[in-house]
Amino acid sequence: MSETDIQSDVTIDSRGAGCPGPLMDLIGKVKTADSGTVFELQTTDSSSKNDVPEWVEKANHELLDVVDHDDYWSMFVRKS
Amino acid sequence: MTGYAIVLASGELERLQAVANIASVAAASDIPIDVFATMDGLEAFDTETVENRAFEGGKIAQAMMESEDIQVPLFTESLGQAKEIGPLSMYACELSMDLLGKSVDDYADLFDDVLGVSGFLTMAADKQVIFV
Repeated sequence: MSETDIQSDVTIDSRGAGCPGPLMDLIGKVKTADSGTVFELQTTDSSSKNDVPEWVEKANHELLDVVDHDDYWSMFVRKS
Repeated sequence: MTGYAIVLASGELERLQAVANIASVAAASDIPIDVFATMDGLEAFDTETVENRAFEGGKIAQAMMESEDIQVPLFTESLGQAKEIGPLSMYACELSMDLLGKSVDDYADLFDDVLGVSGFLTMAADKQVIFV
């Protein structure tokens, strides 16, 4: 298990949802948020580990950290 | 990139889900997507079919419907969510409806319009066409 000091403004709990649920949840929230908002996406979907960083890079946002909690991941994203 | 026009002609749940997943993520990423549902692909959107989860399918479809650990959103849910956040338009095939004496109101509330072949070809003129 690893930890992070990042404080998120918005937590999105997508645990239990299969692909592309977590990514869609994240995109939906990011689109309507203010620039600079930090999101924590909680996901149990292993494909999120690849899909989310790819989308974040393509959309010019910033992936701050990925924390492995053993039974789920927290992915921290800052909106550009 | 001017986007994709997806011809959805299959009623198999695996294909419906694959189309919905790809179309949803693309549209959410601001890639224009038009989905033309025709033949059995349109019938899968029949409100009773959706309500009763009465879809054709194989192993993956069965696993998806029975899975308790992984909640996979049904294709209608993914498409509905994507329409709210990205450029996704859905069209129902006029011929398919005429053959069964149906109207667009008989299907899930996702369709923007009803199209014939000519209308679809016009819509798809600047897009890459994917046939499923």
